[in-house]
Amino acid sequence: MLNKIYDWVDERLDITPIWRDIADHEVPEHVNPAHHFSAFVYCFGGLTFFITVIQILSGMFLTMYYVPDIENAWESVYYLQNEVAFGEIVRGMHHWGASLVIVMMFLHTLRVFFTGSYKKPRELNWMVGVLIFAVMLGLGFTGYLLPWDMKALFATKVGIEIAASVPFVGGIIKTLLAGDETIIGAQTLTRFFAIHVFFLPAALFALLAAHFIMIRRQGISGPL
Amino acid sequence: MHRGKGMKFVGDSRVPDLSNRKKNTPKDYSEYPGKTEAFWPDFLLKEWLVGAVFLVGYLVLTVAHPSPLERPADPADTGYIPVPDWYFLFLYQLLKYEFASGPFNIIGAIVMPGLAFGALLLVPFLDTSKERSPWKRPLPTGFMLLAIASIIYLTWESVVNHDWEAAKAYGEIKEEVSVEFDETSEGYQLYQGSSCIGCHGNSFEGGIGLPLVGLEYTAEEIVEIAHEGKGGMPGGTFTGTEEELQKLAEYITTLQPAE
Amino acid sequence: MSNNKVSRRQFLSYTLTGVGGFMAAGMLMPMVRFAVDPVLQKKEGGDFVLTEKKIADITEVPERVDFTFEQVDAWYKSDITNAAWVYKEGDEIIALSPVCKHLGCTVNWEADPAHKNQFFCPCHAGRYEKNGKNVPKTPPLGPLDQYEVRENDGFLEIGKAIPNTLV
Repeated sequence: MLNKIYDWVDERLDITPIWRDIADHEVPEHVNPAHHFSAFVYCFGGLTFFITVIQILSGMFLTMYYVPDIENAWESVYYLQNEVAFGEIVRGMHHWGASLVIVMMFLHTLRVFFTGSYKKPRELNWMVGVLIFAVMLGLGFTGYLLPWDMKALFATKVGIEIAASVPFVGGIIKTLLAGDETIIGAQTLTRFFAIHVFFLPAALFALLAAHFIMIRRQGISGPL
Repeated sequence: MHRGKGMKFVGDSRVPDLSNRKKNTPKDYSEYPGKTEAFWPDFLLKEWLVGAVFLVGYLVLTVAHPSPLERPADPADTGYIPVPDWYFLFLYQLLKYEFASGPFNIIGAIVMPGLAFGALLLVPFLDTSKERSPWKRPLPTGFMLLAIASIIYLTWESVVNHDWEAAKAYGEIKEEVSVEFDETSEGYQLYQGSSCIGCHGNSFEGGIGLPLVGLEYTAEEIVEIAHEGKGGMPGGTFTGTEEELQKLAEYITTLQPAE
Repeated sequence: MSNNKVSRRQFLSYTLTGVGGFMAAGMLMPMVRFAVDPVLQKKEGGDFVLTEKKIADITEVPERVDFTFEQVDAWYKSDITNAAWVYKEGDEIIALSPVCKHLGCTVNWEADPAHKNQFFCPCHAGRYEKNGKNVPKTPPLGPLDQYEVRENDGFLEIGKAIPNTLV
């Protein structure tokens, strides 16, 4: 049955080559931990992606309950964590995933650095990777504010003050981030929500796509 | 597949004819030399096995350590010592050093992180040698190890210098305590005139100090606490007379939570 | 014209770029202006809050003056009550913020009998001189903030907090 459906679609759209290219590409011995255990360092990139997928999914589900509003944000987080079935797990996945993804990405970066995999012809992919790192840190920073509890508010205050110390344009950056010149409040929360949920993920998708396309194009770097 | 002008049209469509198609058969294993293997399904299965183990650990973590949630943000409460998420701690710590704070804040906040990030971004153009082994390019390796060491050191310093227990106690979700009281009563007048109000709040709701509603102390015990202090509360800050303190203490014992 | 030929293909490419640019600008301009609005919003002039304190009543001894203002945070309005320690220095009126620079407790004037003529914070025994300068070797790390002040019809008006200018 499934085969028939596949054939029906394939006859019309010729989809076989699209996925065969991914399925059949070769994985060399030197990155396969089954052959050399030390090759586990090549897993960090894949694990980073795995956690990223978890983050995207859990984040999507969290917005079913979350409200980005200073009077209701905390209440909604408290509710979804304590009243909703499995709320503790879903929020836990998003919370701990945010830390784990940074750890995995850091390890992945170190692996690429120490194996010299950023060298010609992979310069562009390295730079895209560093930008992904920056976007992830941005996601961490903006996501931290959203529960609107004490540490969220005050950590964000400090962060925004640091941004405000940029010469000349610091004040403007601060106002753009916070939505107000002096108050960290309603407009800060909605802005951070928009950045966390729409702007940065959009950038992340584009960069991840570029990252993966370049890997498929160039193949994995050879053994040392 | 044919492209461009070589494309064979099938009727009014540009998808190639069935006879010209790539067959949906996996590559022969003999096409992979040595121990190289196909991504799907050979390698991916192993990767997903690792992923499954990882996921179990991850789920156990979420159940064993529920994500923290402190009490709702109160911008008016300035007593909180802020601390960023752990992966920003090293930056936060950097700003505490004299060469990177005060008038030199810009060095710690912008210049140093900016240089580090810029260097990381442009590494392929800074390290252009053909050598890939970390042992054969001591400078890049050395700089990276130095950077890791300083990040770990700064994070560590930041962690040991932060009073986690105080912050936890301060951020804890507290029960709303409210009490009905008469602002013109003698007890409240005394309270308002004393320094107690600074920490325990205008309506005894607490703040820097704990709420004073529904305490289980007797008036004598309250007087003693005012003199001696208790926990983080300093003693001897009540500046009125002993009789006033006694009256205030008795007044506080009458404060019971409103229904 | 003859030595500067624009081919048909070039002409079409330029036009395409131009039309594309117009579409991008038309889409993004309202959105960007929308996003940067907080930066361009004009500040309201009435930043000063009228207090019930008569200018004539202010002495050289700091006195606590409470003032309430309405804070407008976009669609949220809330009443915030702040306090200031107000005194005269010659002809100048000084208003200091009572928020301790250590942990944000509230400081009081001469609250510690052992240290006359100083502000005292009961939480951790932080002390400040009359001009707000923090006494070294006490917990606070900086001087008390100052408020902008002005006179309105004989009454004191308090503006926004600024870093201490007296120290």
